[in-house]
Amino acid sequence: MTTRLPRLALYAALVIITGLFLGPFGWLVITALKSTSELAASPVHWWPHDLKWGNFADAFTNIDFLGYARNSLIIATIYATLVTLSSAWVGFGFARLSAPGKKQMFGVLLGTMMLPQMITLFPTYLIFAKLGMVDTYWPWVLWGLSGAPFLIFLFRQFFAGMPRELEEAAIVDGCGWSGIFWRIFLPQSWPALATSFVIAFTWSWGDYIAPMLLLSNDRSTLAVAISTSYVNAQGLPVNNWIAAGTVMYVVPILLIFLVAQRGFVTGMSTSGLK
Amino acid sequence: MTADQLAAVAGRPGHARGADRARPARRQTSVATRQHRAFYMFTAPWIAGFLLLTIGPMAFALWLSLTTFDGISPNWHWIGLANYRELLSDSVTWGALGRTGLFAVTSVPLSIVAGLALAVLVNRPIKARGIFRTLLYLPAVVPPVGAGLIFKQLFDTNSGATNGVLDIFGINAVAWLSDPYARYVLLMTVLWGAGNVMIISLAGLQDIPRELHEAARVDGASAWRTFRSVTVPLLSPVLLFQAVTGVIASVQTVMPLLLASQPPPGGVTSVPQSNYLYMMHVFAEYFAYGRFGYASALLWVLFVLILIVTGLIFKTTSGVVFYNVDPEAKK
Repeated sequence: MTTRLPRLALYAALVIITGLFLGPFGWLVITALKSTSELAASPVHWWPHDLKWGNFADAFTNIDFLGYARNSLIIATIYATLVTLSSAWVGFGFARLSAPGKKQMFGVLLGTMMLPQMITLFPTYLIFAKLGMVDTYWPWVLWGLSGAPFLIFLFRQFFAGMPRELEEAAIVDGCGWSGIFWRIFLPQSWPALATSFVIAFTWSWGDYIAPMLLLSNDRSTLAVAISTSYVNAQGLPVNNWIAAGTVMYVVPILLIFLVAQRGFVTGMSTSGLK
Repeated sequence: MTADQLAAVAGRPGHARGADRARPARRQTSVATRQHRAFYMFTAPWIAGFLLLTIGPMAFALWLSLTTFDGISPNWHWIGLANYRELLSDSVTWGALGRTGLFAVTSVPLSIVAGLALAVLVNRPIKARGIFRTLLYLPAVVPPVGAGLIFKQLFDTNSGATNGVLDIFGINAVAWLSDPYARYVLLMTVLWGAGNVMIISLAGLQDIPRELHEAARVDGASAWRTFRSVTVPLLSPVLLFQAVTGVIASVQTVMPLLLASQPPPGGVTSVPQSNYLYMMHVFAEYFAYGRFGYASALLWVLFVLILIVTGLIFKTTSGVVFYNVDPEAKK
């Protein structure tokens, strides 16, 4: 009997907090379904008189939504695929091999995990401009190929935990280290590969500053387009279109997360922050 | 901050399982050299990326910071430390720096406390806790642009839900997205993503052996006392990691600020004064005024400040943070 009330209080607290966390999503959807006059209404209309599903169609056709979505998809897929493979490759080196200077290099790697990306972004932008890579997808290829410290660390933790026997027989048979990586370790690391791909894809899908700096308007991504392109004839932002566009922009990521959620959360928790 | 400390926070220091095992004496050198070569082959992509995409741009920014380069005019010239001298006497820079510091010291502790509290809640044996965990974590996967726009709708002066609630209580509409309220809205966007801290704290909580909590209870310790004397010390490396990464992330915060100005990045200077953070200042100098040299100096100063601050965090917490590093890793 004595534990009954605290338990109830616990559930009440959880429900209220979860409601507060989900509230902003709900408001976004409601905003997306309002008419322009209702948006300006004061006091606020909590629920639209009739649901303007047409806002979604407008948000879809007033900008080249599919085109921007395709750009986002291409960039995110290129980046996530390359960065996952290269991070796995580098992570394997740190996990299974040793050489002079390895400890220092690993320290530097962890240090760059803490380096603010913004600090290198502007100079990088100027360098890419000099190299003629602005308005191409090459920067994402280069970023992908060099691996991401956080993902390298994730793969290092994963590979370090695999048994020594895996590579021993292969070494005796004269198989090289790259063969061991491609044929033995990589096929066994689906959970880590999937986690890394989802994380990298989410980063790229959500990134705003790099595409804003590096890409011209029609080559840019959905993230940039939805925050700058929904304007009326006077150049003022149209909030119900922005809301509808944001819903359509956020939903794919939420779906990917919900599908991959189990693996994603365990992937994060095995990242060794112990 | 040393590599060892970082490694200790992150887990085992550079120790590959089995990689150092002794070999038959005759083949030792050749196998070792082959392994060294293989190690450099595997780490080459990261080394190349580090040199070209990190060290290169940093050096370039350092060089730029000593010039009047503006990206367009060919008549730039070398001015030595003049940009840094200007920076020291620039009240806008100091103001932005002060607001950034204030933002970091409020947002980082708040989100760590909120995330830890959520983790403790959803770590209890309750029904549907998987669903609660997922729903509380969900905002953390919303892309920053999406989150920025969501909060813009929520706090809109005319159509926002917050003013709607205030209206029910007869309170006049508040212009949330302008001074001085904008800073609280920014803080709320950060707290909304506390699920990130929650997930990592949760992983840490689950690593704490049950016996320790049971022992504390047998000794008659209250729940709060157990939390303070058992849970927090054992979780301290995780909390330290979050403090460091949180400070770095908060210093870089720019997305919600950019979105509050229309249209970015040309209108960067339209950000409300109370949200004109350091990174925003860098943006303004780059794009609104085209002063690449001065902006590069700003970036370098920020970089050095971050190194100092993270170093100080590690130094001041070294006595409080409890490392449960496994002894094998110390070899």
